[in-house]
Amino acid sequence: MNYLVDRIAGVGAYALGVLRAAFELWMVFVGTIAGIWRLYGRRGATRPPGALVEQMHVIGNRSLLFIVVTVGFIGMVMIYQACLQFSRSVGDLSQIGVQFARLIVSDLGPTLTSMMLATRVGAGIAAEIGSMKVTEQVDALRMSGVLPIDYLLVPRFLASIVMTMVLSILGAAIMYGAGGLTAYLSFGVNPRVFYDLAMVEPRHLGLGLLKAFCYGAAIPIVSGFCGLRARGSSEGVGWATTAAVVGSSFAVIALDFMLSVGALWLFGGDV
Amino acid sequence: MSPGAAAPLIEFREVHKAFDGKPVLRGMNLTVGKGEILFIIGTSGVGKSVTIKHLVGFLRIDTGEIWFDGKRVDQLDEKGFYAVRRRVGMVFQNATLFDSMTLAENVALPLRKHKKLRHTSALAEAMGRLEQVYLTGFSDRYPAELSDGMRTRAALARTLTMDPEVVLFDEPTTGLDPVNARRIDRLILELSRNLGVTAVVVSHDLASIFSIADRVAFLYQGRVHAVGTPAELRDSPDPIVQQFIQGQSSGPMETPGF
Repeated sequence: MNYLVDRIAGVGAYALGVLRAAFELWMVFVGTIAGIWRLYGRRGATRPPGALVEQMHVIGNRSLLFIVVTVGFIGMVMIYQACLQFSRSVGDLSQIGVQFARLIVSDLGPTLTSMMLATRVGAGIAAEIGSMKVTEQVDALRMSGVLPIDYLLVPRFLASIVMTMVLSILGAAIMYGAGGLTAYLSFGVNPRVFYDLAMVEPRHLGLGLLKAFCYGAAIPIVSGFCGLRARGSSEGVGWATTAAVVGSSFAVIALDFMLSVGALWLFGGDV
Repeated sequence: MSPGAAAPLIEFREVHKAFDGKPVLRGMNLTVGKGEILFIIGTSGVGKSVTIKHLVGFLRIDTGEIWFDGKRVDQLDEKGFYAVRRRVGMVFQNATLFDSMTLAENVALPLRKHKKLRHTSALAEAMGRLEQVYLTGFSDRYPAELSDGMRTRAALARTLTMDPEVVLFDEPTTGLDPVNARRIDRLILELSRNLGVTAVVVSHDLASIFSIADRVAFLYQGRVHAVGTPAELRDSPDPIVQQFIQGQSSGPMETPGF
């Protein structure tokens, strides 16, 4: 009986912990939105000098090669596999490029780019903020009259939104280009047939950009939240970094699902 | 005569604090007088740093009361504590400068936030503050390029930018060589005697205690076990106090893990 009570209490405590974490995550998000107003909505506010540009450089420019290489390979592999299967079953490869373009614009471009960004940027944010937390630098910020979220998260949040959108567009273009090249070189698909944007409509582009915007917002919030929860020493920073990578990748997948379902409701089957 | 007895500036009343069910402070009472240098000493993990962190709102007490300058502060929210932090500065263990900023930027940050100075004028004033702690010429260096003693001094300069009435020092001389440690002692003494700043120093550096402390509070098992001037503690007949001061490995003191 006692064993049962202990188990139930354990499950209850775990559930409470999850709820509390979800609430804290929400508060980090709300705090960041309020922080944007505190830093950029008023004249004469104390902003961290040059932080926004620096973070855009760290999140965007430094991820460029990584994103180009990984999504390029993903595009090549996907098109190679698609052509292989289609050539065995249907035999007609003329529709592959048209369908692929639509899929990339509304989904794969932003989602796969952001998945890659979530690992690189999420780990960086959590490790930096986490080590500041365990070395008491976050407390030192509070002693200096600074809200840690304003200084640490707001610039990363804004930079991440901008750069995720830019990199998503670039990533989609690279995937499309690499895919068409693979189809031409491996299966002789005429590039004029492959690079056909007839099926892409403004709503696909809108959905893709909305997804990139949401992913770009989610990655720094989840990672910053994990970093601010870091405890103890270097081990705590390690845990925070792992949690940030897992959490922000999961956030990207979950948002993809929710936004895709939402778009399905809005536009019917054609998204 | 300690200045502490006359006008208590900070008061801890029956403070209890536990972490994950493990009690650290168990009914701690302590008063700090205006302008005095009070050392809080005790073995590692006894709750010395925990005690001072409560005063600036980094930790919340479970039960008890904390008073600062006639006002109760333990129930304040984060915003309320910002007013306290303008009057109470803190020098953290291992200095804790911001890695990504130069020394001048580190010192300028509280000037910009608390005093609402512009970036350039804050940097100009930061130079002056660095001079106060003998760090002229190092203003554009990053913390990682400096020695521990220099970092501690820069952290002190950053704290002093707000002209605090109280400065909390969390083990300021731990990890420093004896020469640098005595320099930090001298700076604390100058602060107290020249500017009238109240200093609460968490330490187990006996040389510091016996050279600059006005009063010493010895923390043991979550309470203030003994309090008095350094001389009173040195002459105390209490075997636990004697064991700590003489640094004996065996004796009546109970330390976890031994």
